[in-house]
Amino acid sequence: MHRRQSVHQRRAWAWALAIAATSAAKPASADLAKFEIDGRIFTKHLYQNDDNQGLLSLGNPFWPDDVAGHNGIGSELELIFRGRVSQLAEAGARVASRFGERWHDWWESGAAWYDRKTNTSGDSAGMNRASYLKLRGSYIQLAPELSHLDYVRIGASDFSMFNPWTIGKVRYIDRDNGRGYFLGGKFGDDNAGQYYVAAIAMPKLWVGPSWSTGIGDPALSQAFWSRDWAYAAMVRYRVGDSTTVRLVGDVTQDLEVNTADPDAVGSRNPTCKDGLGNAIPGCAPDHAVDLLTRYASLNATFDVESEPLDWLRVQGLLGVSAQRIDPKLAGNGVQLNQGVYPLVYKDTSDVAGTLRLSASDPFDVGLSLQGEYFYIGPDWNAIFGARREADVLLTDGLVGSGGQLPTLNLANEFVDFDDEWVESCIGWHGATGVLTLDKGDTRLRAEYTHIEYATNGQDRDVDRTYPDFLHGDGFTDTLVYDYANVSDRGRDPRSVYRRNQFRRTDLAVLQLKHQFEVGSGLDVEVKGKYIKDVDYRRLNGQGALDDDYAGDIANVRVKLSMPVADGLRLGVHGQVDHWNEVNRKGTLQLGYGDDATDRQVVGLTANLSYGGVRFAYLVEYLHKTQDRQREPDQLWNVWRSKAVIEAAW
Amino acid sequence: MPNALPRLASLAAIAAVAALPLMPLAAEPPIVLADPEGDDNGPGSYKYPTDAVYKPKSFDLKKLEVIDKGDDVEFRVTLATTIEDPWNSPSWPDGGGNGFSLQFVQVYLDTDHQPGAGFNRPLPGLGNAQFESAEAWDKVVLISPQPRARLSAEVKAKAGNQRAGVVIPKTTKATGKTLIAVVKKAEVGQPSAKWGYQAVVQSNEGFPVEKDILTRPVHQTVGPHRFGGGDDGPCDPHVIDILAGAGKGDRSEVEAQHKALKYACGGKVATIPMVYPAP
Repeated sequence: MHRRQSVHQRRAWAWALAIAATSAAKPASADLAKFEIDGRIFTKHLYQNDDNQGLLSLGNPFWPDDVAGHNGIGSELELIFRGRVSQLAEAGARVASRFGERWHDWWESGAAWYDRKTNTSGDSAGMNRASYLKLRGSYIQLAPELSHLDYVRIGASDFSMFNPWTIGKVRYIDRDNGRGYFLGGKFGDDNAGQYYVAAIAMPKLWVGPSWSTGIGDPALSQAFWSRDWAYAAMVRYRVGDSTTVRLVGDVTQDLEVNTADPDAVGSRNPTCKDGLGNAIPGCAPDHAVDLLTRYASLNATFDVESEPLDWLRVQGLLGVSAQRIDPKLAGNGVQLNQGVYPLVYKDTSDVAGTLRLSASDPFDVGLSLQGEYFYIGPDWNAIFGARREADVLLTDGLVGSGGQLPTLNLANEFVDFDDEWVESCIGWHGATGVLTLDKGDTRLRAEYTHIEYATNGQDRDVDRTYPDFLHGDGFTDTLVYDYANVSDRGRDPRSVYRRNQFRRTDLAVLQLKHQFEVGSGLDVEVKGKYIKDVDYRRLNGQGALDDDYAGDIANVRVKLSMPVADGLRLGVHGQVDHWNEVNRKGTLQLGYGDDATDRQVVGLTANLSYGGVRFAYLVEYLHKTQDRQREPDQLWNVWRSKAVIEAAW
Repeated sequence: MPNALPRLASLAAIAAVAALPLMPLAAEPPIVLADPEGDDNGPGSYKYPTDAVYKPKSFDLKKLEVIDKGDDVEFRVTLATTIEDPWNSPSWPDGGGNGFSLQFVQVYLDTDHQPGAGFNRPLPGLGNAQFESAEAWDKVVLISPQPRARLSAEVKAKAGNQRAGVVIPKTTKATGKTLIAVVKKAEVGQPSAKWGYQAVVQSNEGFPVEKDILTRPVHQTVGPHRFGGGDDGPCDPHVIDILAGAGKGDRSEVEAQHKALKYACGGKVATIPMVYPAP
């Protein structure tokens, strides 16, 4: 009875707040220039011919969530507030409803009385299913009229002023979740220099050992995360008319309580006496708690971007990466979590470098050339770097056009089946060449990339030191991926370390785009990719010749689309993939199998913008066969669709 | 046989005359207008957003070229630095973008130079700005990273009667520092040095505010994706760089731009000038 009353009270409060908010908005509306509200409603439909219910193709890889699944419709409301405080200051905030409520959950109140066991009471599924509005971030921003300081931001930021190698722009779904202090300004003659410095509250979730700054670590009796900060700086300077140099760096520090301190909650020495009753030297309560560093990291890059000629661009980057980990305060997740761990479990330091030359149509015939050399050391890791939605290399890569990032902390999660994937390029050492030919309505792009691996080595300790992410064999199928790998989907894109590896990869891409003068213009795009991936694995000893991997992977994709009316574009696409892998997966003891995979996809797309509202629809059929030598063959006959309706105002 | 030569000559002459329509006519020379570097600050006060993708000079107009390509007209807009695609525009919805992410250039054309003929206001999204009556625009070519269907829908929904003057290129792409848009000549007419030209550099916004056509407003303070240094009220032009003066690219055109785009709340409205190569 008491609980039910509290629910009624909460509902009454919600109404009261809604009315209060309406009332409070009235004075603000008198001065629209001073107060703005933007809104957005996003509705997504997912349907697939299986019995999995949810709103997101791929959810949280670690914690169980009630959002992921393939069948459901849900909506999200977002409100963005921005107010002008004065000529020098503004303040803003974003609130958004928690995504996860399916339309069919409309009876849910937000209570979870029945231990999250779904029933029809309306009080079983918790707050996510009630789409509660959450403050995602708020900020105050000042524009001081000082010669070298014109930007002060306190609060939410997406950290986009740094770079993917150091502190990366946080993924879109987290864009206002990060908070900190940010200062910026200009300096030098003609304001040739620009800088940003920041102190950032480290997220308790993902920047550190075991994707946490202490919480849940078996080595800690109590985690302390409220004083964990990252510090970052970016300085950019324009040299002459055509060259810019930039230095970006960050330091993270995860502090924990020294439980030897008698003042600490849960202290090992609360009385400052040992087991025999003797006083412990140096131990005395002083109402101050000592802290120790559980984990610290440093990443820094120096890059130069120069355009010495109108058609020539040179970009070079050098970086260093280092970490210190205290094994007494950070449990060995490589050992305890089957190699699924976002960093190497030891103190490390390493370097990285890239050099890219781009010649844009130097002969004035429509032919452009690009070349890139890259080296990312085997112990490099950008623990706070970009996790997705960024790309540091020129190559199309192995898993698609989502890009390559120098971190083990990738975030191919909270995505749908049509989203782009990123892969880790830690240890990649090689070069890419790209030719692009533009002729009228035609663009032809050809790429060749050769990759050696600085992670190659024999008898690497993947039991206690180097995380192998458990599943490191086989070409990755991102179209039917699952984190637990119950479907044999191939290598985890974070898996860059193997016990025995002597790997090299060659890939070639040919892409043709042309617009035919049919109707209002028929766009045709054909893309073919071939990957030759070999790994001699164990080089010496018994079985050295029996475990060699050879993968031949071929993809062909065709896409046709055409605007058929104002705002309406229809498309059709198809994809044929074949990958043939010798010794695809297994062990020396159990043997390896030769597997062949065929995959075909056909689909339709429709995109409509009407009256300011956007509709997008994708339906596709995926057929996949996996012919496996040592295990039963597998078959996929998957129909799936996604529709999005979005209005912003 | 003596009569054969004149007969052959006559046949050759007839063939030559008959072939005349098939021979390519000499194309008009390109129209080339230049803009000085370092004036990508609107009226002089605008600042780039804080996100690192907004690299210095990435909105700095250097050159507009209008090239006669027979049945088509090619508009080439060159910026002061290489144009990048940080948001992977080919993966965008609505059929994929055009290979760049940040910039949105509107090329305004005054094809008749007649006072009162054409539109005085730019398309919605450029804030509080106008064209002189004698320099009103007749056509505007939209060089956007957004796919054509999205552009046409936005124009249909928001341009009102200006829609008649909007030209959406059949292809748009980026190469190096240059944006290239190809439009059918039938849609813009034969380019002439007597026309007025203006290339307005703005920023692409996939989720524009209610009445803006895929542009970002300039605010008082900068944001991750917001230009700052303007006014939060309805006073300022949302324009980062334009052609000014004689379109020769000399330094005096910086001042000419600042003067043209200068505004005062409740007072002067920013005026976007047309540049006439052969007035």
